Amino acid sequence: MTTMEAPVWRDEDVRGFGMAVGGRARVLRPTNSEQVAAAFAEVRAAGGSIALRGAGCSYGDAATAVGGSVLDLSAMNRIHDFDPATGIAVCEPGVTVRDLWRRSIGYGYWPKVVSGTMAVSMGGAASMNIHGKNNFALGSFGECVEWFDLMLPRGESVRCSRESDPELFHAAISGFGMLGCFTRLAIRTKRVHSGRLRVWGIVAKDLAHNLQILEDLRGKADYLVSWLDLHGKGAGLGRGLMHRADQMQPGEDPEGLRFFEPALQDVPTTLFGVVPKGWLWPGMWCAVHMRQVALVNWLKFRAGYREERQSPYLQTHGAFHFLLDYVPRWHWMTRPGGLIQFQPFVPAAQGERVLRTLIERCQQTGFVPYLGVLKRHRPDPFLMTHAVDGYSLAMDFAVSANQKRRQALWRFCQELADLVLEAGGRFYYAKDAVLLQSSFGRVHGEPAAARFRALKQRCDPDRILQTDLSRRLGV
Amino acid sequence: MRRMMRPRRWSGNDGGADVAFAAGAPSPLGMVSRTGTCIVVGASSGIGLALARRLAIAGRKVALVARRERELAAMAAQIDDALGRPAAVAYVHDVAAADDAEPLFARIEQELGPVDELHFVAGVMPDVALDEFDLAKDRLQVQVNLLGCIAWGNAAARRFLQRKAGCIVGVSSVAQDRGRVGRPVYNASKAGMDTYLEALRNRLWRHGVRVTTIRPGFVETPMTAGLQLKGAISADQAAAKILRARDAEKAIAYVPWKWRPIMFVIRSLPSFLFRRLSI
Repeated sequence: MTTMEAPVWRDEDVRGFGMAVGGRARVLRPTNSEQVAAAFAEVRAAGGSIALRGAGCSYGDAATAVGGSVLDLSAMNRIHDFDPATGIAVCEPGVTVRDLWRRSIGYGYWPKVVSGTMAVSMGGAASMNIHGKNNFALGSFGECVEWFDLMLPRGESVRCSRESDPELFHAAISGFGMLGCFTRLAIRTKRVHSGRLRVWGIVAKDLAHNLQILEDLRGKADYLVSWLDLHGKGAGLGRGLMHRADQMQPGEDPEGLRFFEPALQDVPTTLFGVVPKGWLWPGMWCAVHMRQVALVNWLKFRAGYREERQSPYLQTHGAFHFLLDYVPRWHWMTRPGGLIQFQPFVPAAQGERVLRTLIERCQQTGFVPYLGVLKRHRPDPFLMTHAVDGYSLAMDFAVSANQKRRQALWRFCQELADLVLEAGGRFYYAKDAVLLQSSFGRVHGEPAAARFRALKQRCDPDRILQTDLSRRLGV
Repeated sequence: MRRMMRPRRWSGNDGGADVAFAAGAPSPLGMVSRTGTCIVVGASSGIGLALARRLAIAGRKVALVARRERELAAMAAQIDDALGRPAAVAYVHDVAAADDAEPLFARIEQELGPVDELHFVAGVMPDVALDEFDLAKDRLQVQVNLLGCIAWGNAAARRFLQRKAGCIVGVSSVAQDRGRVGRPVYNASKAGMDTYLEALRNRLWRHGVRVTTIRPGFVETPMTAGLQLKGAISADQAAAKILRARDAEKAIAYVPWKWRPIMFVIRSLPSFLFRRLSI
């Protein structure tokens, strides 16, 4: 919903998706690019800084500014055009993944890259250069951006494409909101021939098996993602359930034509058709706080065998992709401390060794993630990319409300980050909450870090675009 | 007897496990499905599109009729692409131009073969303020919802009567049951449409032509996108229920059925009470 009235600053609690970081900030929600420019001018005149925020789906502090100012783009949420001939949507930055697929699926198109929650905004997806379960095949979100309009901090709006300004294009995408504010983006979606995917559940008995499946199916499958039970030890270390999904060919699933209706793509809102899923998080809270996570993980792993026997099965695109939307407010299960996600990206050659070490270290120290997700990746051309030719393991840690315990978790994650960086690994700013200033150059390489800093100087000489993340990394 | 001998087809169920029978193939009960072309007027979105998809899945040739060329062409292409065979043909037509219905009907028969099923789903429901009396908006609603239905209904009825076969499904609305404060002419146009369909049914039933009036309640469609409709069903669910009503040769079907008792109560409210309510 947009309004023509000038927006007003509001004092709000602005947190990361994991709720573990963030705090009070002044928030402005512009509804058009002129209001973005006016906000930049106001902040510059006052000698202050401002953080850009999309849907607030970054787990860490990428879209927070404790005690500062936040420009929340969620009210710029119009899809200006969707061309059914090309599948290109022209969107404002606050358009969410859900808005986009609801518009495109009726025409037989699905976004090329989607996240685990459909709440993510287009501006946020481009700034963080998000990836999906098909990163190994189609690359990152930035690769489906045709062009964008970027409002620079001094109020100048530039239209930028790969051809017109390759340097800015490849840096603004992945640049975590440091160079300017996306005010319009053209996103290419892909043709799908059914509203459903063919899905397989494959039990992986350990980490090596998981990695082997990823390698065997790479090039064959359209989507691959593995849930890991990180409580598994010994021969079961790194065990999990791989999900493979393939798109249908024309005529392969005639019944799938019905599922082009957006209402049939949304994830179910009830369990067994009766229990509202919004009521489930207290049960999950009990599992976390009564230390039953290992049991829940074991049960889920055992249930994987049943799913494997029933595979393949048909599932809508929405039901396959948006697992994080299955249980509304699921992250409340980690209250009051919240959660952080630690997601290292490790080159394939070092993959098994490093990931095994990380899991073992978690089990040795007692900081065992309640959730682990393994994916395969490939490099992309973006300057601040997190992607490598290798694997990522997303590990969700519940954060204790006890400050000592919380600090210990941060130190532990920094220790893990060292292991990853020594192996040539990278990190992803949509997830990160723990990296130190000294890590920035190690993640991207000093030449890339220097190029990014030079671009920052060119686009934002007054350094008005700052977030808690950028201050932490010294960008 | 006639009822048993009439050709039938199956529209399947809601659960995604529909069995589609090729046109002309016998169904499990030994009956023969319809083989002719279907026309869906208002097929570029919402219930019309969902109906067109289900008819195409069932093996029917479907003429998609709607005003928006780009959307319509895309939807026809999508149906063909998903099914892997030609099943849908787009015909751009503004339902408000009632005189064009007859020649377009003839053209569709010429290009796709005899039509034995018409679904009239086109409808407009502009936002109207409580103190607004805008003749342009009112005229459009009468032109599309009522006159459009009459034009397409007449074109189908003339042919079906001659052939003594065929079926007409008209999507009216629960809004036709009472004149309400919010949308006087939408109510009136749908009531006119409903009465026209009833007359058509009475005129044609003795000749083996079936006319079914559908009165949908809350359905998630682009037309209702801005409204907060609690308990709305999807357009695909509505389409499944409409095709079931057609197969059961119902005269009037509320979609979903719960709207029948609800509207019974609303219709039964005396005027002195109803005018005090803001429903």
